Formats: sequence, C-alpha cells, structure tokens
Amino acid sequence: MTRVLVVDWPSCKGRGLCHELLPEAIDLDDWGYPVVTSTVSDQLLVNARKAMRACPTLALHLVSERT
Amino acid sequence: MTTTLATTPGLRVETGPALLQHVELGPSLAAHRTLHPARPAPRFSDLAAAVRSVGLSGRGGAAFPFARKLVAVSTAGGRRPVVVVNLSEGEPASSKDAALALTKPHLVLDGAVMVAGALRTRELHLVLPGEGPDVRRAVVAALAERGRDDRVRVRLHDADPVFVAGQARAVVELMSGRPNRPVTSWQSTSVSGYRGRPTLLSNAETYAQLALLMHEGPAAYRRHGTPDEPGTTLLTVHDTRGSRVAEVELGASWSEVLPDLEPQRAVLVGGYHGTWTPAAELLRLPVSRTAMDARGLSLGAGVVLVSDTCPLAHAATIAEYLAAESARRCGPCLNGLPALAVALRRVADGVGGTGEVERLSALVTGRGACAHPDGTARMVRSALTSFGDEVAVHARGGCRYRRADLGGDLS
Amino acid sequence: MNEQVLWFLNRGTGVVLVAVLTASMVLGITASRGRAGGRLPAFVTQTLHRNLSLLGLALLLVHIATAVLDEYVDIRWWNAVVPWGSSYEPVWVALGALSTDLMLALVLLTALRSHVGQRTWRGVHLTAYAAWLVGLAHGIGIGTDTGERWVWTTYLACAGLLATLLVARSLTNRGPAYHEALR
Repeated sequence: MTRVLVVDWPSCKGRGLCHELLPEAIDLDDWGYPVVTSTVSDQLLVNARKAMRACPTLALHLVSERT
Repeated sequence: MTTTLATTPGLRVETGPALLQHVELGPSLAAHRTLHPARPAPRFSDLAAAVRSVGLSGRGGAAFPFARKLVAVSTAGGRRPVVVVNLSEGEPASSKDAALALTKPHLVLDGAVMVAGALRTRELHLVLPGEGPDVRRAVVAALAERGRDDRVRVRLHDADPVFVAGQARAVVELMSGRPNRPVTSWQSTSVSGYRGRPTLLSNAETYAQLALLMHEGPAAYRRHGTPDEPGTTLLTVHDTRGSRVAEVELGASWSEVLPDLEPQRAVLVGGYHGTWTPAAELLRLPVSRTAMDARGLSLGAGVVLVSDTCPLAHAATIAEYLAAESARRCGPCLNGLPALAVALRRVADGVGGTGEVERLSALVTGRGACAHPDGTARMVRSALTSFGDEVAVHARGGCRYRRADLGGDLS
Repeated sequence: MNEQVLWFLNRGTGVVLVAVLTASMVLGITASRGRAGGRLPAFVTQTLHRNLSLLGLALLLVHIATAVLDEYVDIRWWNAVVPWGSSYEPVWVALGALSTDLMLALVLLTALRSHVGQRTWRGVHLTAYAAWLVGLAHGIGIGTDTGERWVWTTYLACAGLLATLLVARSLTNRGPAYHEALR
C-alpha cells in the first residue's frame, strides 16, 4: 500500500506550512505552492499528519493506493 | 456536398458517410426518421455489448472507452444515474458539436435517450455552449419536435463561454448551480457526479455515434473505418480553404482529408491542448488514434489547425490565450501558465532557452484541479519537439516561416 | 481567599485578556496573507497564534473563577456561560457570558477542525471578531477601572491595531494570488 499526498488545489493558498513540516516530501514551486516529491513512508507518516493538520485551509490530503 | 452553417462565419459542414449522411435533408425529426426509421430501446447488456464490440471511444478529446464508462455508471450502485450530453464545446477552434446540433440533433438525442433507457433513468441534461444561440435554438426545436415520446425529463444548462467550462467537474458544478469551473475531484464523475449520483457525462458526438451504432447494428457500423478502429470521426479543419466540419472514416489517410496541405506548413492537431507537427509528417499518417499516439500526436476532439505562420510564434500566442483562460482557482495554473507562455515567447523571439520552457512545463503538469495546465504544457512541448531546428533558427535571429504579428490574432 | 486579591486578579486578568487575545488575532490576520520563506516560519506563527489563544482561554478561566469566588458580588458559575439571569450587573455579565460562549465554541471547533470541515470551521472562526468586541464591551461596561489610563489606553491601542490591520488587509487581493516568483 502506498500513501500519496494529494493537494486540493482550489483550497491551497500557498501558505507553505506543509513544506516547513514535511520538507522530505514537499518542496515549494516558484510561487510558494507545494510540489509533492515523494510518497509517505511509515517514517514520514507522523510528520505528514502534522502537516495535514497544520494546513490553514485543510488542502493537504493523504490517499492510500493499493500498489 | 456541403451545408453552410451560420454559427461561425464561413463554416461549412460537409456531408459524410455515416453521421453526416444526407445533411441536405435538414435537421428535422421527419428527415431523421426517413434515414433512421427504427426506434431501438436496448437493454443495458445489449447496448454495452454493441459498444464494446466496436470499441466506441469518447469524442470529447480523451477518447475514453465508452463501454468502460457505461459499466462504471451502471455498477456505481446506490442512486439513480444521470445522463449528461456535453454540447458546450469550450475549445474555440472546434465546431463539430455545433455542427451536430444544427444538422443532426436527433442523432445526438436518440443516443442520449437510449443510454438513459438502458441505465433505467429518466433524467437527461444537455449542456449548451455559452455563446451559441443558434445551437440552443436548434436543440430546443429538436426537443419540441420529439415531445414527450422519449419519456425523459430534460434540463438545459448554458455553459460559460470559457475554455474550461466543458470539463467534467466544471459541468457538474454548473448543473448544481455553482460557478461553472473545475473543482478537485476525489472520485470519477461516473461514480459520484451530480448530487453524488453516478453521472454519465459524454460529448455530443459520442452519443450520435452510439445512436448510429444501435440504429444500424455493429456489422453495418463496421463498414466504415478499420477492423481495429471501426467507424468515423468528426473533424473541424481550419486551413487555407477556410473552416469546415467533415466526417472522415477512421484509418483514412490525412492526405485525403487535407489534399491541399503543403508539406512545409505546421499543423496543430487535437486543438489547443493538442500537438504540433510538420505537415509532411502528418500527411504520412492515417486518421487513427493508435497510429498518431505512437508518434506522440493527439487527435483530441478532432480539431486540425493548419498554421499559416511560424509554429513557435503561433504556439506562443495560443499559450498566452490558454494562460488567460485559467479558471484562476489553482496557484500552479494561475501563476505557471503565464510564466510558461512568456518562456515560450522568448524562445520564439530567439532570446530565451528551451530549458525554462521544459522546467515550467513539468512544473505545471499534474498540479491543478483539472488538466488545463497539462494540456497547455503538452501543446507547448510539442512545438519545441516537432520544430527543434526552427528553435535554432530563431536563436540566430531568423525564421523560416512568414512571421505573424507577435501577440496578434490567432489565424 | 482574600477578597482584595480576587478582585485585583479579576480586573487584571480582564485587561490582560484583551491584550493577549488582540495579540493572537494580530497573528491570525497577518498570517492569512502569508507565504513560506519569511522571517519566521509559518508554522511558528501558527503555533504562536494557537498558544496565545489558549493562554487567553486560561486567563478567561481565572477571570471567571475569581469573579465567582469573590463573595463581594453575587455571580454564579452558570452566569459565566448563560447570558442572562445574573443578579449583579445583568447586562454586562451577560455580554461576558456571550463572549465566553463564542470563545469556547471557537476552541472546540478548532480542535475538531478536520472533522467539521473547512467551511464550517471558518464560519465559526470568524466569530472571533464578535467574541473580541463583545468581551471588550463587557470590560468597558462592567469594569470599575475603565476610567484608569492604563486600562483605556490598552483598549484603545488594541482596537486601533486590529482596525488598522483589517483595513490594510482588505485593500490587498484575495484568493490564490498572482504571485511574484519567490525565486
């Protein structure tokens, strides 16, 4: 099972908290919007959940896909 | 033989072998019944089997296998499905849906009604183009002719006259009384669309093809096209002869469709989200999705634009248009597309490198609520890939094509 | 407990509460236009905003407790959340209760934000302005120190600061902004 970070783009305002809390999986583009760079391993899961909770617009989601 | 339509000045609709048979008889119900007297009301299993047997794919641009969509909607379970016909044709260079509405509305409606019947639903929605009063009039007239015989409740919706208005989720938003723009989709609309119900949303031509298939039967349908890609498809062609909607058999050679095409011209196939190619390359290919996919070209919704100017400048102008058509809901699209257009313009002007275009293309792809940035990036990249040597010529300050007014009219 | 101490604590926590909640709201207002890459990480501002609000809640609880425990005035525990029926200064106490209710709802819904959804949360969160105003009115009306300079200058400074920030924010764009590239 792979855990994939998905951004609800119309909700995302580019505040960047997700990148601050999960730089291992989220970069920022030229305009401050998140670029997902990797899936979420078990190691990253705790911080991924923190990043999701911290998003001011609840735009960050975690989707589990069967590999 | 052609029929001239008043919708777009100078647009001609040519008589075709299947969908557009006997266009000269007019769009009336009586004319339609002369050509197609039967009134099939297939069960779901028969409909699905026929669709599967000819591999009918959607005509809205993505070529999604229609059988798969039918099954997804019927097996989604729970609530009664909804059938939606997309006539909004947001792509400005496409006129095939308008052509169908004006010449063969009853084929479209027959198809939609058959699908609704097979899915055991009475709810049918038609999405009309924002700036198409002729289309609306034609559809309303056709519905009036049919009266209540179809046993469906029809609702009409008028799309906004913008590029992204015809996107699936944007259509569902429109139907729900919200702004006609894309939103994030967590499930396919086939499974959960309008009011959370399974929503079969397809292009007008798809329904027309389906109607023809059920009227004639798969064997007759297979008389046109190739064994792997049976049937026909509608094209909107813009070239030196003007603009026309034509029906061509799948597998026909592009050289038959575009007999006057000069090999040195540049062609954009598949609309503004399509792919650029030198005419010489296109003329060697058949009108076939598989053959074109193999060469990295997209047939899309059948728009063929023969450029009378430099492909790099033309692509940059289109990219600027597409950037302005962003729904402005997603940061990467709103910010990235203008930057991408600027980078491409710099390449066309010979003052920028392709590296930045490539970087921005990758940056906007897959990062939005809809595929608008993806399609724009595809169009842009294809211009650089197909005309790499022209890029080098521009970098040295030259141009082998007649230079267009940079930033001017799309011609 | 010595009644004088209770009374001082009550008045003190009241005024400090206005300042603390104002500070929290300042962070909330200025952060809503924020992007990453500023002087302070955005999550620091966010955490500070949250902690100041919780500090405010703690101060509110002390403020309520000292009012109830103080036998000089007859204020019951339930007067703190039910906005009517107080025998002492019924109108002003009622405003205090209203402000408390709004704050409690705010804190509760923020804790449950991922369950109630963004739209509901945002609607309730915007009542922070009402909570602040109603609380300030309560303080001005019931406060025996309102005449004191240190009190009304605090109130004025807080109100002025919030008003300025709100006006400044309303003059800039909303939504996913067309940003200048950060790099």
